[in-house]
Amino acid sequence: MNFNISKEWLLRHAEKDDKVEISAGRLDLEDLIAHKRALGASKEANEAPVPAFGKLINLCRRSKGLSMEQLAERARVDLSELINIEHDLRYRPEPRTVYQLSGVLDLPNEKLLQLSGNMVIRDMRFEQSAVKFAARSESVDKLSREEHRALEEFVKYLSEQK
Amino acid sequence: MSDQSKVYLKDRRTRQLVEAILIDGVSKDEIDAADTDWRKAFNEALAVLEKAGVPKSQWPQHSHWDWRKKYQVTADQLAYRILGVECQKQMQGLMLIATAGHYCRIPSQKEKDLVYVHFVATAPWNSPIVVKEPTYALVGRILIAAAILISQAEEFAGRTGLHSLPQSESWYRDNCGMTDLGPDPSDRSKLTYFEMTPEQANKFLE
Repeated sequence: MNFNISKEWLLRHAEKDDKVEISAGRLDLEDLIAHKRALGASKEANEAPVPAFGKLINLCRRSKGLSMEQLAERARVDLSELINIEHDLRYRPEPRTVYQLSGVLDLPNEKLLQLSGNMVIRDMRFEQSAVKFAARSESVDKLSREEHRALEEFVKYLSEQK
Repeated sequence: MSDQSKVYLKDRRTRQLVEAILIDGVSKDEIDAADTDWRKAFNEALAVLEKAGVPKSQWPQHSHWDWRKKYQVTADQLAYRILGVECQKQMQGLMLIATAGHYCRIPSQKEKDLVYVHFVATAPWNSPIVVKEPTYALVGRILIAAAILISQAEEFAGRTGLHSLPQSESWYRDNCGMTDLGPDPSDRSKLTYFEMTPEQANKFLE
């Protein structure tokens, strides 16, 4: 980065900064190392897969008999983004996209934000339900009876959560 | 890759401003050279203090800082940046900042992102607690201004935080206009934590 720190500004402050001590920082490296470790952990969390979100969108879309093009059009999101959501387990959509999809698919927005990785899931049971749901659903053209049941149960669960 | 900007230091011997370079992205070679120069100067200064019978508790607390290690720990992470001020082919000050993972503590700014200054120091010959007559002034002002400008560029509105060593507290409080949040209970040495709001940052840059 290039900085514009003018000579005039420095001249203006030269007198009061004539003989000052400016050292700052913890006295050892432990805090820096801990911070670096925390940054690494948060990066890992940000890159963790969000399988339940893509599965849920996929099943809800199909249960409403919508093609990907139709859902993209109704929700006013890019088709390419919808493809990423349904097929890339690590894809994290923007909150706006989640909001648009929740409206068209009648799903609670806040829960969708959590499932999509935009908000932290603090409820262990919710996280477990999402994982279980993702594991039960398979990607086929028509929803199987098992998929129907999984979807119904999970949507009911989402709607009951506050 | 590093960027270089022209700045000015005050040469206290001539009372004139002299040209210097603010480096954003100090290289390993530059850190090595600075650490070697600074270590030699610190050793000479500490020998004088020892000879004069000054107790170790009163020696400069940052005299043991190892900038090579700081570079090694942070070099592989984009969230960290090392900036330096170079004049007369010598490093006159260094600063290590983090642009992620630190948040405001001032209640009105609570949990907003800030640039955290992990370490900032001048060369020993510019420090009034190491030598009686420091060589260059304005090194610290340039580095703190750079931290604020980075904070603004990162859209943190100039919010900046740091833990001051005891001898520097009055500078951060009075000259920089930062908010003094008192001794940090989470810090082993209970160093005083200072933070700058967007308004204070703008005022500092006036």
